[in-house]
Amino acid sequence: MDFIELKDLYFEYKRGKPIIENINLKINKYEITAILGPNGSGKTTLGKLMMGILKPTKGQVNISNMNSSNMTLAEISSKIGYLFQNPEKHFFCNTVEEELGFALRFNGQDVDYINRRVEELLILFQLEDKKGNCPLLLSQGEKQRLAIATILINNPEYLILDEPTTGLDSHRKSVLINILKELTKKGIGMTIISHDHFFIKELSHRRIGIHRGEIIYDKRS
Amino acid sequence: MTKEVKLDPRTKLVIVLCISTLGIAVRDIISLLLILTLALTISIIFKVNLKKSFNKIKRLLYLIIVIAIIQSIFSSEGDIILSVGRVMLLTINGLEKSFQFILRIIIVIISATIITSSSSREIVQGLVQWGLPYDIAFMVALGIRFLPLLTEEIKDSLIAIQLRGIEIRKISIRKRISLYSHIFTPILAGTILKAEKLSTAIEMRGFRAYDSRTSYLVLKMSKWDYLIIFISIAFTSFYGIICIFR
Repeated sequence: MDFIELKDLYFEYKRGKPIIENINLKINKYEITAILGPNGSGKTTLGKLMMGILKPTKGQVNISNMNSSNMTLAEISSKIGYLFQNPEKHFFCNTVEEELGFALRFNGQDVDYINRRVEELLILFQLEDKKGNCPLLLSQGEKQRLAIATILINNPEYLILDEPTTGLDSHRKSVLINILKELTKKGIGMTIISHDHFFIKELSHRRIGIHRGEIIYDKRS
Repeated sequence: MTKEVKLDPRTKLVIVLCISTLGIAVRDIISLLLILTLALTISIIFKVNLKKSFNKIKRLLYLIIVIAIIQSIFSSEGDIILSVGRVMLLTINGLEKSFQFILRIIIVIISATIITSSSSREIVQGLVQWGLPYDIAFMVALGIRFLPLLTEEIKDSLIAIQLRGIEIRKISIRKRISLYSHIFTPILAGTILKAEKLSTAIEMRGFRAYDSRTSYLVLKMSKWDYLIIFISIAFTSFYGIICIFR
């Protein structure tokens, strides 16, 4: 099932200097798609276009057959969870516990439900002993795990993860691989933007290489 | 063949000071319109991106109009245009004052953009050569460097909040205020952390903000700079005196 469709996608930050050039792509909802490419190849920009954070200069992005330009970010985020390259961008609260429950509290969810979900995610991401800590003062690996947990609290159908392994040691990486595999079994597909070939090899069903804003290969494992 | 004259940032600072002073001191609308035309002309001469400046004004327009309306309501002098019972809502004088206010704000913003035609490094060097202590000038330079980063962080925080499923435009004002207080936390903490990292990095490179520091960039005023500074100050004083004694 095609969940995200990119049609003749073209994007430039500065006029006449395209970052993404006429990309056509259909992304399946239930598989793990990896986007690979060197620094400055347009991976993060492509991820942001897929998420609707950036609006295309030309072409369009369809999410569940709806043009993302006509959807608000909050509407898109009810379907897709997005992980920023810098996990600190996800944090607004003074403690890890508050951070996890932030969106649910704001949207008026039941307190018992919030507490249950927060507890589940604290255990899943091994952050139970950090729940009273300030998110900005956690280690890089802990920040990365907390950022992913804050996305999952909204129960998204799909994830776009921009460099999820940054700052993770090999043990934490394998923990993250297991968590992501579990999520895939639950029917949550994802697009992973990464440089980490080991991580990608372990997880991905499809690998897309981009260079200078163009697709240079599209392989299936 | 014409030779392009590159003015010293200090000259531009004097021009900005003169235009803003006139914009604030002058009261009648026609004079304010003339000063605005002058500011626009100078901006065009200095190749300032006026489209960007107008976009900045557009963003502030809502606030400017609200202040202008409040000012108009609280000015009770002059002929009444609109009243409810005994309460005067709009008078000729009030309308004039609110129009003056709008013009003043636009003059200050447009004149301030003149300085953007010099780089921040040149401006700071200009201030140092004017006798400003180096540590203060360095703080100004860092402030200028951090400003776009801060804007970027505010934008990112707003995006991140919406990515958590919160519709900022659809929530009540009370909730929105509480939301903005949340945005404040990462921005403030992020800025402090960045400042700390930056100070460590520059100290590790052997940097110290001493007044005795020498600089590769040394600004030199030309005869054009002195001439323009003289004309600017003379014009401002002359125009100011005329306006006061008229």
